[in-house]
Amino acid sequence: MKFDAPKFLPGGDRFIMVQFGDDAEIDLNFLALGLTTAIKADETKGVVDTNPSYNSLVVEYESDEISHGDLQTELERLIGGLGSVEELELDSRLAYLPVVYLDPWTRDCVADYSAKITPRDWDPAYVAELNGLEDAKQLARVHSGTEHWVVAVCSTPGLPLMRPLDPRCAITSPKYNPPRTWTTLGAIGVGGLSTSIYTTPGPGGYNLIGRTPVPLWDPRQRLPVFKDRVVLLNAADRVKFMPIGEEEFDYIEARVADGTYEFNVTAYQRFSVGAYKKWVASLNADGQF
Amino acid sequence: MPLTIEVKKAGLETSVQDFPGRYGYWEQGFPPSGPFDMWSFRLANLLVGNAPEAAGLECQFMGPTLVFSAPCVIALTGAEMNATLDGEPLAMWESVAVEPGQILATGFATKGARAYLAVSGGINVPPVLGSRATFHMAGVGGLEGYALKNGQSLAVGDGEGIAGRHVLEDCRPSIADGGTWQIEVVQGPNDDWIAPEGIERFYASEWKLQARSNRTGYRLEGPEWIFAEKASAKGPEHGEHPSNILDHGYPVGSVNLCGQTPIILVNDAPSAGGFINPFTVASAAFWKLAQSKPNDIYRFKRVSVEDAQEMRREIDHLCTEASIQ
Repeated sequence: MKFDAPKFLPGGDRFIMVQFGDDAEIDLNFLALGLTTAIKADETKGVVDTNPSYNSLVVEYESDEISHGDLQTELERLIGGLGSVEELELDSRLAYLPVVYLDPWTRDCVADYSAKITPRDWDPAYVAELNGLEDAKQLARVHSGTEHWVVAVCSTPGLPLMRPLDPRCAITSPKYNPPRTWTTLGAIGVGGLSTSIYTTPGPGGYNLIGRTPVPLWDPRQRLPVFKDRVVLLNAADRVKFMPIGEEEFDYIEARVADGTYEFNVTAYQRFSVGAYKKWVASLNADGQF
Repeated sequence: MPLTIEVKKAGLETSVQDFPGRYGYWEQGFPPSGPFDMWSFRLANLLVGNAPEAAGLECQFMGPTLVFSAPCVIALTGAEMNATLDGEPLAMWESVAVEPGQILATGFATKGARAYLAVSGGINVPPVLGSRATFHMAGVGGLEGYALKNGQSLAVGDGEGIAGRHVLEDCRPSIADGGTWQIEVVQGPNDDWIAPEGIERFYASEWKLQARSNRTGYRLEGPEWIFAEKASAKGPEHGEHPSNILDHGYPVGSVNLCGQTPIILVNDAPSAGGFINPFTVASAAFWKLAQSKPNDIYRFKRVSVEDAQEMRREIDHLCTEASIQ
């Protein structure tokens, strides 16, 4: 639920958390991203970093340049200037990412967990059943049938936290307990309401449903798309997963390795929250992919 | 001839760091990194006449052995690691002239945990995203992305230091020999997820630093947490355990509650996640975290935001030329 007025919570002497509400209503993320954009445009004195998420924004500041109280006043002014959530327009690029759904590599990762840690079903079948879908194949259809909204890029470099923009494609699932000790690099995972892509082969808790051959960040800036950036996605970008087969995976993997892979990222769009909400209201919620 | 430093023995996770670390990329998932004890780090740079942001080395628990190729001025601050220069004891908190071929050897930390080495001119690795700080979890910054390895060499920038300067005794952090530390915290952001008696218990209890602690997080062992009703009566999007919350950004210094285990998130911590942060350690108390060892005891003291900011200013004032003689 959206709060009548945002809450300002202290995080030590260098951080303020602005909380717009207490659940995962998508408007709350739009507001957090709208405020992030406004802070950057305003070049608010003393702000050194921002960190948006589902319903909140953490702002880091230098207390020698602005006091906690003055920063709160500044943030309230900027929030006031956002207007209603429907009026928000956010810069949003659309990235097409190739994915092998129900792939053999994450299947091995799940099997390894099953053998060494605790037995569990193959993740796609488990998630499909939990969400009342026919089978893992339908899960792949549903998951690839929508643009995914980048709520935040967080936790580790370049890691996107995403949610489907089409409410008919929403899936939810519990996370691993205990977590995995390793995860296939490039694995597509779903957990809670979110989809993520594993940008490092480390531990993880999301259910694995596919794998992409493309990197989401590159500190060496080798591929053309990373010429002016290190991380592919920003918060407020969108991702469309393109289902591919294993042969295509191998081809793309080789193009990534030889440094010639061209990402398809459209960069000319703005996302209108008002237009989006109108579209959502027009949908037949029972429609299934 | 430009100075290089040859790494004979790398020590345990010795890394290049700069002050204040990597800023401006938090929303792309990059933590600040930078020196854990910024007080000792800044004094080392001041001693050798470097700019505050010049890169130096952070030595953890067991320091490195280094050979210098050209004349320079160095300063070692922070934890005591029985440092020697060509076998002779090296004075700490002091700028010292080094001749070509001299060997700086350091051993296990006997007092404190992290020592800082500044070299006149500063360590000259290529900056990545605006900083030379090492973030080894992602292979970013520092020397080829990671902690030093035996046989590598470090380039050093141009700079002339002055030997024979020292930090006044009462301007240094008082690094205790293990034992109990008082750590100042500000309550929040998620203190309302803990019951009042749980908050009281946090301040009243002793918390033991676990061995599985590093620049990502400091794991603590202590009594059971008592959650507020809110922690259980919440929407399913927050997750199952009382310590779970819908993903949110983590302030650096958060006391992050993962199940029943509190983990203080420090310089290389993840920027966000799905656990609550009932308290946040004051930035001015970070040097105490940096200088403590496994099994040391923490007692947490509540301070206001303004008190914590004043503590930070006091340390900033000590990291100036006035502290050097």
